[in-house]
Amino acid sequence: MNKILLFFITILFSLNAYAVTNVTFWHMEGVPHRVDRIQTLIDEFNSANPDINVTQEVQNWGEIYAKAPASVAAGTAPEILVGIPDFTPILADMGAAQPVEDFVAELDSKYGFYQKALDQYTYNGHTWAVPLWNMGLSLWYRKSDFEAAGIEPPKTWSDLKKAAKALTKDGVYGIGLPGNKQLYTDQTIYSFMVNSGAEEIYNSDGTLRFDNPQTVAAYDVYKELYQYSAPDAANWTWGEAEACFASKGCAMILQFTVISTYDSQAGGDASDLGVIQIPHANGKAHRAGTVSYVNSAMIMTADEAKMEASKKFLSFLMEPGNYGRFINMEPGLFLPITEAGSKDSTYWDDPVVVKYKSQVETMLDNSTRGSLFGFTNGNTFTSISSISAQNLLAQTLQLTLIDGKSAKDAVSEGMEIMTEAIE
Amino acid sequence: MISVKKNNIEGWLFVSPLVIWISLIILVPIYIAFELSLFNVKIIGTSGKFVGIDNYIKLFGKSKFLNASLNSFYWIIGNAICQTFFAFTIALTINYKFPGKKIMANWIILSFIIPTVVVVVIWKLMLSSSSGVINSVLIDIGLLDEATGFFSSPNKAFISLVLINSWRWSPFLALIILSGLNSINREMYDASKVDGANFVQQFLFITFPNLKSVLFVLGLVGTLLSFNIFDIIWLITKGGPSSATTTLPLLIYETAFTKFRISQAATLSIVTSFLLLLFSIIFIKSMAPKEDD
Amino acid sequence: MIKENNIKLIFLSLSLLLIILIFFFPFFWIITSSFKSPEEIIATSTTIIPRSFTLEHYNKILFNSDFFIYLKNSLIVSFSSMIISIILSVSAAYGLHKLKFYGNKFVEYSLLVTYAFPGVILLVPIYLLFAKVNLLNSYFALIVVNVLFATPFAVWMLKAFFKLIPNEIEEAAYIDGASRYIVISRIIVPLAAPGIASVAIFCFIISWTEYLFASILISGDDLKTLPVGLAGIVGQYQIDWGFLLSGAVLASLPVILLFVFIGKYFVSGLTEGAVK
Repeated sequence: MNKILLFFITILFSLNAYAVTNVTFWHMEGVPHRVDRIQTLIDEFNSANPDINVTQEVQNWGEIYAKAPASVAAGTAPEILVGIPDFTPILADMGAAQPVEDFVAELDSKYGFYQKALDQYTYNGHTWAVPLWNMGLSLWYRKSDFEAAGIEPPKTWSDLKKAAKALTKDGVYGIGLPGNKQLYTDQTIYSFMVNSGAEEIYNSDGTLRFDNPQTVAAYDVYKELYQYSAPDAANWTWGEAEACFASKGCAMILQFTVISTYDSQAGGDASDLGVIQIPHANGKAHRAGTVSYVNSAMIMTADEAKMEASKKFLSFLMEPGNYGRFINMEPGLFLPITEAGSKDSTYWDDPVVVKYKSQVETMLDNSTRGSLFGFTNGNTFTSISSISAQNLLAQTLQLTLIDGKSAKDAVSEGMEIMTEAIE
Repeated sequence: MISVKKNNIEGWLFVSPLVIWISLIILVPIYIAFELSLFNVKIIGTSGKFVGIDNYIKLFGKSKFLNASLNSFYWIIGNAICQTFFAFTIALTINYKFPGKKIMANWIILSFIIPTVVVVVIWKLMLSSSSGVINSVLIDIGLLDEATGFFSSPNKAFISLVLINSWRWSPFLALIILSGLNSINREMYDASKVDGANFVQQFLFITFPNLKSVLFVLGLVGTLLSFNIFDIIWLITKGGPSSATTTLPLLIYETAFTKFRISQAATLSIVTSFLLLLFSIIFIKSMAPKEDD
Repeated sequence: MIKENNIKLIFLSLSLLLIILIFFFPFFWIITSSFKSPEEIIATSTTIIPRSFTLEHYNKILFNSDFFIYLKNSLIVSFSSMIISIILSVSAAYGLHKLKFYGNKFVEYSLLVTYAFPGVILLVPIYLLFAKVNLLNSYFALIVVNVLFATPFAVWMLKAFFKLIPNEIEEAAYIDGASRYIVISRIIVPLAAPGIASVAIFCFIISWTEYLFASILISGDDLKTLPVGLAGIVGQYQIDWGFLLSGAVLASLPVILLFVFIGKYFVSGLTEGAVK
C-alpha cells in the first residue's frame, strides 16, 4: 500500500516538474547589487507563478558577441537575451530572435513606449525585441568650475571650445574626451554627429552616406577639443572618464551618468553637479540631440510554452511598481522608456534619484532626443552590426586623432573601411 | 630485461594517454576550422557557399593580414629580447647567496601566478595619466614635464605591452633557468676558478652550454606561447591604437567575433598555424641539442 | 681579485634593487591602494603611502559578491587540471625520453602542434564539440581544455629535466634488479623534483588564470571561475576601482597561500641543486 502511494506521489511530483517551464535570462549587468535587485524581482515573479521558473545568468560584455551566436548554433541559447540595438539584427538574421510586434503593441497600449525607443528595434516589417531601458549621453560639469571661470554652460560648439580652453589649467583637463577604438568613443563621436545633422549614416537603399560635410564638421570639432583631453584618453572606456571627472582631473565629460561615482567618490554635493544637453553645431539648434542606447530583451525561443512564460516575465518587469525597481538596479543610470514607467513612483522614490532629481530629469529629457547610428528613420540594415562591433566610427576618429590625418581625409577613408566591412 | 633502450610497447603505453587526450581535443576542432575555411560562412551556425581556396588567395592581398603579421613578428622579437634579459638577470642574481635570498626566490614568481585580469588592473591603474603612480613619480624625478599616455600612441602602446607581458613571464622563465643552473655540477665552476676564469667566461663556457636543453625548450615553446598571447593585449588596448597592437591572434578574434566572418577567421588561423609550424620545424632542425643515446 | 668582488657586489646590489622595484613594488601598491578610500584611489596626486584606510571594498567583495563561489570553482578546476596534467606529462615525458620507441620523434614534435594553433580559433569548434557531447557548463570542460594547454610545455620541460639525470644512475638501479616502477618513483621523480614542481606550478597557473575558454564554456553563475567573475565585476558603464582592486588582491591570495606551503619545498630544490 505504501509503495503504491509512493509511486503516485512520485508521479505527481514529476508531473509537476514537467509542468514547470524553465526560462533562462541572460544579461550583462554583472555588478553585484544589480544582480541582487534582479534576483529579488525574479524571486517575486517565481513565487507568483509557480509553473514558471526564471533563472538569471550573468554574462560579460566582452564575450557575449561570441557566446550568443555560438549558443544558438549549439542549441543552448537562453530564452531571453538582453542586448543593445546593433546586436539584434544579427540574431534576427539567424532566426534566433523572434518577432514580437504583437507583444510589444500590447505593452505599448498599456504603458506607452517612447517612439524613438521602438525605432531602434523595428525594421524589415517586424519588431525584434522588447525595449527595457534607455541610456543617453549628456554633458556633465561642476557649476562651481564654470562660476570660477566666469562662463556659462555651453550651448553651441563655439561655447564648448571656449569652455574647454578656459577650464584647462593647473593640471586639470578641460574636457575628457576618449580616443579609444571602443564603444564609448563611438558614442561620443556620434553624439557630435547628431548635433551637426549627420545622424543618418545610411541611404534608404542601404548604401552609406557617412562621408558628408556634417560628419566632417563633427570629426573636426572633436579633434579640436581632444587637445584639451587627458594624455591617456586613447585608452579610455566609460570608467576612466568617470574617474577623471570624479577626481576633478577633468572639468567636463560626456557620459550617461556620473551620479553614483560622484556620490560615492567625489563628495556627492548634488547642488554643484551640472548636466546639460550636449552642445549643438553653431546655427543648428534644431539638431540638438544625443546618442541613445535602448537596451532590450530578445525572445530567443520558438517553443510556445517558453514564449508565453518569457512574455509573462517581461510584462511583469514592465509593470509600474516593478519597473522602477528594475531599472533602479543602478539608480540614475538607466532611464525609463515608457510613459507609465517615467511616472512610476518606485522609480522616483529611490533615495539616489531623490537626491539628484533635477539631474535625472534633465537626463531623461535629453534622452528623448536621442538617436543611434544605423537605427534612424527606419533605415536599419543588418550591416550596421559590422560597423558597430568593429567600432568603425571610433577607428575613423583615430585616423585623425592619432594618425594625424585631416578630418576630411579621415572621414573619407573611414567611409571606405565601412563600405568594405558591410560587403 | 628492463633497460633504458628501445622498448616499443612500453613506450607507447607511457605516451598514449596524453596523445589520445590531445588528439581528441585538438584534431577535431582543427578539422572543423579547416572545413570552415573552404566556405564563406559569416556568422557561426549559418551556412555558406563552398569557395575552395578562394579565401586563402584573397588573404595575402589584405593589408590587415600583413599589418598583423608584422606586429606579431615584432611582438615575438620584443618579448624574446626583454624576457631573456629579465629572466637571466633575475636567475643569476637570485643564484647568489644574500640575506633574504630564499624569500625573494620564493616570491619572485608573484607576477606570474596572478590572473591576467589582475595584471591588467595593476598596470592600467599605475600607468594612468590622471591618477597613475608611474607618471607622478616620473614627473617628480624630473624625467617628464607632464603626464604621458603610455598607450596613446602606436609605438608607446606596443612597447608598454611588451614590457608588461615580459613583467608577467620573466620570473617564471627565471625560475626554470634557475633550476637548470642548479643542475650544473658545482665542481665545474670551482675547477674553472682554479684555471683563472672570470665571471663572464664562466657564463659563456660553462653556464650557457649546459643550459642548452632547457633553453631550447624555452626558446621554442616560449616563442609559440608569446605569439599566441591574447588576453593581455585585448584587455588593455584591444589591438589599438589604430591597429598598432593587433597581432595575428587578435586579428583572428576580431574577424570571427566583431566582423562576423568566421570562415575568414578560420582561413587566417590555418595560415597562421602553418607559419608557426614552419617556424617550429626550422627552429628544431637548426637548434635541437644533440640527443645522447 | 678584490676589484672583481667589488664590481660583482655593485652589480648584485643594483639588480636586486631594480628587481624589488619592478617586481615587488606593484604588489605593495595594489595592496595598499585596496585599502584606500575611493577618493584617494582616483585622486590626481597619487599617494604611495596611503592617507586613508577603509575596509569597505573588502566588505563588498567578501560579503556582497559571489567571491567564494568563484574561488571554490577555480580551486577545483585548477587542482584537478594540475594533477591530471602532471600524471599525463610525467608519464609521456618519461616514455619519450627514456624509451626510444618507434614514432618517438614524431610524437615529440607533434605535441608542439597544440601551440601552433592560437586558442582563439579553437574556441568556437571546441564550444560546438562540447555542446554535442553535453560537456558544456561543467568542471570537466575546463579541465580538458586546461590540460590541453599545459601538457605539451610540461612534457617538453620534463624531458629536458630528465635529460639532466645521468643514465648511469638508472642503469645501476636496473642492474640491481629494480622494476621500472621503482626506478621512476624512487629515483627519477625525486631527482627531477624541482623540474616537476616548476611544471606543476605552471599547470596550476595556466588553469588558474585562464579566461577566454572559461568565459565561453561556462554560462551558469555557480560554476564561474575567479578571472571570469572578476572581469564581470567591472560593470560596463562604471568601474568601482576600490572593488576592482580588492577583487584583484583576493583573486591572487589563494595562489599566494598555496605558495606559502609548497614554496619552501620547491625553493630548496632550486637553490641547492638537483643532482647530488
